[in-house]
Amino acid sequence: MAQQTQVFVPQPDRPPPPDTSGPLAWIRRNLFRDIPNTLMTFVGAYIIFTVVTAIVNWALIDAVWQAETRRECLDAVGRAGACWPGVAAWFENLIYGLYPKDQVWRINLGFLALVVWMVPLWLPKVASKIAIGLSAVMLYPFLASYFFLGGEKGIIWTALIAAGLAGLIWVWATALTEMRTGKPVGTWLVARLGQADTDEILQRRIKQGAALALFAMAFLMVTQISFEEVRTRFWGGLFLTLVISGIGITFSLPAGILLALGRRSKMPVISTLCTLFIELFRSVPLITILFMFNTMLPLFMPAGTEVNQLVRAIVAVCLFAAAYMAEVIRGGLQAIPSGQYEAAKSLGMNYWQTTSQVVLPQALKIMIPTIVGNFIGLFKDTTLVSIIGLFDLMNMARAVGEDTDWLGLFIEPFFVVTLIYFVFCFAMSSYSINLEKKLAAGRDRT
Amino acid sequence: MKKTLFTCGILAAFAATPAVAQETLQTVRDRGILNCQVGLPTPGFYQLADDGMWSGMDVDMCRAVSAAIFGDPDQVEYQSVTSAVRFTSLANAESDMLSRTTTWTAVRDTQLGLDFTAINFYDGQGFMVPADTGITSALELDGATICVLTGTTTELNLADYFRANGMSFTPVTNENVNVLVETYLGGGCDAYTNDKSGLAARRSAFPDPSAHVFLPETVSKEPLGPVVRQGDDAWANLVRWTIYGLMNAEELGVTSENVQEMTGSADPNIARLLGSEGNIGEELGVSPTFMVDAIAAVGNYGEIYERHVGADTAIGIPREGTLNALWTEGGLIYAPPFR
Repeated sequence: MAQQTQVFVPQPDRPPPPDTSGPLAWIRRNLFRDIPNTLMTFVGAYIIFTVVTAIVNWALIDAVWQAETRRECLDAVGRAGACWPGVAAWFENLIYGLYPKDQVWRINLGFLALVVWMVPLWLPKVASKIAIGLSAVMLYPFLASYFFLGGEKGIIWTALIAAGLAGLIWVWATALTEMRTGKPVGTWLVARLGQADTDEILQRRIKQGAALALFAMAFLMVTQISFEEVRTRFWGGLFLTLVISGIGITFSLPAGILLALGRRSKMPVISTLCTLFIELFRSVPLITILFMFNTMLPLFMPAGTEVNQLVRAIVAVCLFAAAYMAEVIRGGLQAIPSGQYEAAKSLGMNYWQTTSQVVLPQALKIMIPTIVGNFIGLFKDTTLVSIIGLFDLMNMARAVGEDTDWLGLFIEPFFVVTLIYFVFCFAMSSYSINLEKKLAAGRDRT
Repeated sequence: MKKTLFTCGILAAFAATPAVAQETLQTVRDRGILNCQVGLPTPGFYQLADDGMWSGMDVDMCRAVSAAIFGDPDQVEYQSVTSAVRFTSLANAESDMLSRTTTWTAVRDTQLGLDFTAINFYDGQGFMVPADTGITSALELDGATICVLTGTTTELNLADYFRANGMSFTPVTNENVNVLVETYLGGGCDAYTNDKSGLAARRSAFPDPSAHVFLPETVSKEPLGPVVRQGDDAWANLVRWTIYGLMNAEELGVTSENVQEMTGSADPNIARLLGSEGNIGEELGVSPTFMVDAIAAVGNYGEIYERHVGADTAIGIPREGTLNALWTEGGLIYAPPFR
C-alpha cells in the first residue's frame, strides 16, 4: 500500500485585528499610547509648529523680494522679515567667488566635464568602471586645472592637459563601444581593422598607436585653445569650497589607505614613520595646521619662491584628512578576521594580492559609513580656510553684510549657505547609504 | 660634503632674503602688480562690492601708490587677510603694503619689523547706547553689560578704561561684528563699543539709527595708516610721500578735476607737488608727475574721505570738527611740505 505523502500546505495569514493596522492604529500606538506619550506629542507638535511658522513667516511671508539696498528692506518690514534681494545680488559671488563674471562659464564647463566623465560609472553594461573611475581621479584634475586657472601653459602642462582631454575622450569611447558591443574601445578597434585573430603583439601595437594618435590629437586641440589667466586670489565661494574639499577627499582616501597599511606594516621604519605622521597630524587641530602652513612655510622657503596661498591651504587640508582617514581605514583592517589573511596566504597570494583582493575590499565596505562621515566632516571643515583669508562659501557669506548697500545683512546669507551645505552633505550621505545597500545586497549578515 | 653643501644652500637662501626685500619698488615694477593687503571687508575702508571690486579709504591709498608707480590705479591685487596673520603676511613679502585700519603702536613699530608710513585716519574707541536709556556719558556705564569684539585692542582698551575709572562691567564678546550687533539690537547688552568709525558704520544699518546715540568719550587713540616692511626705506618713502601728497593736494586746492590745469600753476608749492618743478618724483624712483597720476586717479585726501566715509555716504561721519579735518580747519591732517 502506497504510503500517503503528507504535504504541508501553509494557511494564508489571517488578517490582523482591525484596530492594529492602518494609519489610525499607527497614530494611536505611536503618538497617543498613554498620558505622558500624548502630552509629549502635543508639546512636540507645538514646538515644531512655532519653529516652522516662525521660519516660514520670516523667510517667505514677511520677506522682502524687491529692494535696492538693505535700508529699503528695513523701512518696509524692519527686522521681522528676510531681505532676499541682498542675497540675490551676491548669489553669483557666493557660488563663484570673485571669479571674473565673463569667465564663469569655464567653472561650469569644468564641473560639467567631471559629470560627463562620471556618467559612464552609472551606465549599465559598462565594464571598465574601475579604469574610468581611476582616470577621473588621475587625469581629470589636469583638465580642470586649466579650465579654472588658465593662462600661460608650458609644454609639460599642455601635455598633462592633453592627457586629461584624451582621458575624457577615451572614457566615452570605451563606454560607447562596451554598451554597443561589450568590448573596450581598443579591442573594438582591433576587431574593426580585421586584426582580431592576429598575434597579441600586433594587437597591442595597434592599441598603443591609437592611444598615441588620440593623445596627439588632444595635444593639438589643447594648443589651439587658450584661456585668460584667473589667479587663485579670485577663486571663492562654493567653487573654492568644492575645489579644496574635492582635492582633500580624492587625496585622503588613497593616502589614508597607504598610511594605514604602513602603520600595520612589520617593517619598523615604515610603521614608525607612518605612526609618527598620523599621530602628529591627528593631535593638532586643523586650524593650527592651516596657520602653520600659511604663515610658517614661507619663512622656511628660500626668498623669491612663492607658494600660492590656496596651494598651502590645500596641502594642509590633504595631510590632515589623510591622517584621519588612515585611522578609519585601520579600523576597517582590524575588523577583518585573521582567517581571511591565512586563507589568502594558503592560496599562495603575496602581500599585495592579499591586501588588494581580499582584505581591502572587505575593510572598505565595512567602513563606508565612517569614510563618508569623514568626507562630510572634511567638506565642512574647509570653512576654516576663511580664517587665513580665502573667500570660501562662509567668508563670502560674511562679506555680504559688509557691503555698504547691504550692511548688516547677516542672517539671510548664512541661511542660504546653510541650505547649500545641507544639500551637499545630505547628497553625500544618501549616496553612501545607497552604496552600502548595493554592496551588501545578497550577503547581508544580519 | 653633501651635507655641507646642503647647509650652505640653506644659509645662502636665508642670506638672500634681505637683499630681495630691499628692492620692493623694483619687484613691484617687474611684477606689474602692486600687492596690497586689506582686511576682511569693512565698510568705508576696504569694502567689497557685489561686482567683486574693492573700494574704500584704505583701498584708495593702494590705488594712489599704484598710480604713482604705473600711472594706472588699477594695477593692484588685493589680498584680504585676517588680522591674525596680517603682519606675517607682510613680513613674508606676500604683500608690498598693508593698508587696513592698522593702529600705529610702539610695540608694533619696534618689535614686528614694520614701518608705519603716515596716518590717514584718526580713529578712537567710543560707545553706543540706545537713546531711550538716557545715558549721556560713558562714566554712567558702571555695572553695564557691554558688547565688545574679542581678540582686538578694543577689548583691552575697554578694560583699561573701566579700571582707570574704578567701574565694573560685564563683557559680551564675539569675534563676528554682525553677531555682536544682533546681540546689541536684541537687548543682549546695554552698550556696544568699537572704533567710532565702526560704530557709525554699524548704526547706519540699524532699522532706526536715530534710536541709538554715541557717547562723547573717546577711550583710546587709534591712529590708522598704511604699513610697509622695515628695511626698505625707499619704498616706505614712496608710500609715505604719496599719502602726504594727497593731503598737500587738498591743502593746495588740487582736486581730481582740476589737476591737469593745475600743472601749469604759478604757485611754486603746487608746481613742486605736481612735478613741474623740482625732482621729488625722480628721487622717489617714480616719474616726476607721479602725484598728477595719483590725484587724477583717486582725488585729494578730502575727496577720498568724502567719497568713502563722509557725511553723504552710508557710513556718514561728518569731517568738520573731527581729528580728520585739515590742520587749517582745526584737525590733525597735517602733511609735511612737498619741497
